[in-house]
Amino acid sequence: MRSKTVDRLLKSTPKDVEIFVDWYADLVVRINQLLRENDISKKELAEKMDKKPSEISKWLSGEHNFTLRSLAKLSAELGEPLMEVPKKKVQTEFIEDGFMCRVHTFVSYTKLDTKTSGKVWQFAEETEPYNELSNAG
Amino acid sequence: MNIFALEIWYDEGSICTFYTVRWDTDDDDAESETDRFFDTYAVPEHPLEEKAIQLFRLITESIGNRYGASNDFFDRIVNKAQELPPKPKQWVEEIKDLGINFPLRLFCYRVTENIVILFNGGIKESQATQDSKNLSMKFYEAQTFVKKIEEALQSEMIEISDDGRYLKNFDGTTDIIL
Repeated sequence: MRSKTVDRLLKSTPKDVEIFVDWYADLVVRINQLLRENDISKKELAEKMDKKPSEISKWLSGEHNFTLRSLAKLSAELGEPLMEVPKKKVQTEFIEDGFMCRVHTFVSYTKLDTKTSGKVWQFAEETEPYNELSNAG
Repeated sequence: MNIFALEIWYDEGSICTFYTVRWDTDDDDAESETDRFFDTYAVPEHPLEEKAIQLFRLITESIGNRYGASNDFFDRIVNKAQELPPKPKQWVEEIKDLGINFPLRLFCYRVTENIVILFNGGIKESQATQDSKNLSMKFYEAQTFVKKIEEALQSEMIEISDDGRYLKNFDGTTDIIL
């Protein structure tokens, strides 16, 4: 039986905290794994990155907040990607007549006449086909 | 005589089971030591609430469900008071921190990568755990728990289940009192 405390915390943990911790743990594990696989010591990594060994230890022990810059440097030195940003999200996938069909959701922004007051919904077919930005969403 | 129960704290992750300890008292509603920790810090209005919730997530998801109790997440604290050489498993560990100057420490004992026993912890105020007033009592208490648990494992009073995820008494029962 789950304790009331565990139950409360499982229900109340904010989503952003979940994502932050999951990313952090994934990064620490991934970096340690790459160091082991490539047989690179912390000292060697520190030398390659022109950092003090204590700074590298802080990264690997979680006492250092990763920045995009530090991650990029680490990734470059280790020669492997540390994080991947999804480019496009497949929403539905199905196979029909031997073909794989993928359905994506796109959010499209089209610049309209600025004189229009308020928000007016308009079918995409009626807008100009150019000057359109699309995002996979 | 101080006796305590070893009970499951969280076993819903796919890799690691967490146990906790609860002092055996007349109070049936007495909290486990790990619940005490989280009910102290992971509560609204506490300045360390978010940090405590981060630690909770690290335990339940990263260790419990994704990676198990690997070295990536643990710091070893050797019991210098007893001048232990680093005999296998004769030490108290703490869940590794997240971010710069993470202020909380939670003590634990790693039985295997699939079984971890969590104790209590507190706020780390100085470099050495023993110098943090808030933490030192919990640290020595954790040592007491570890000593008894270690003895019980070595004498085979308690053992690990066949699937490697649980602890049980030598007769197969699961109500563990030490």
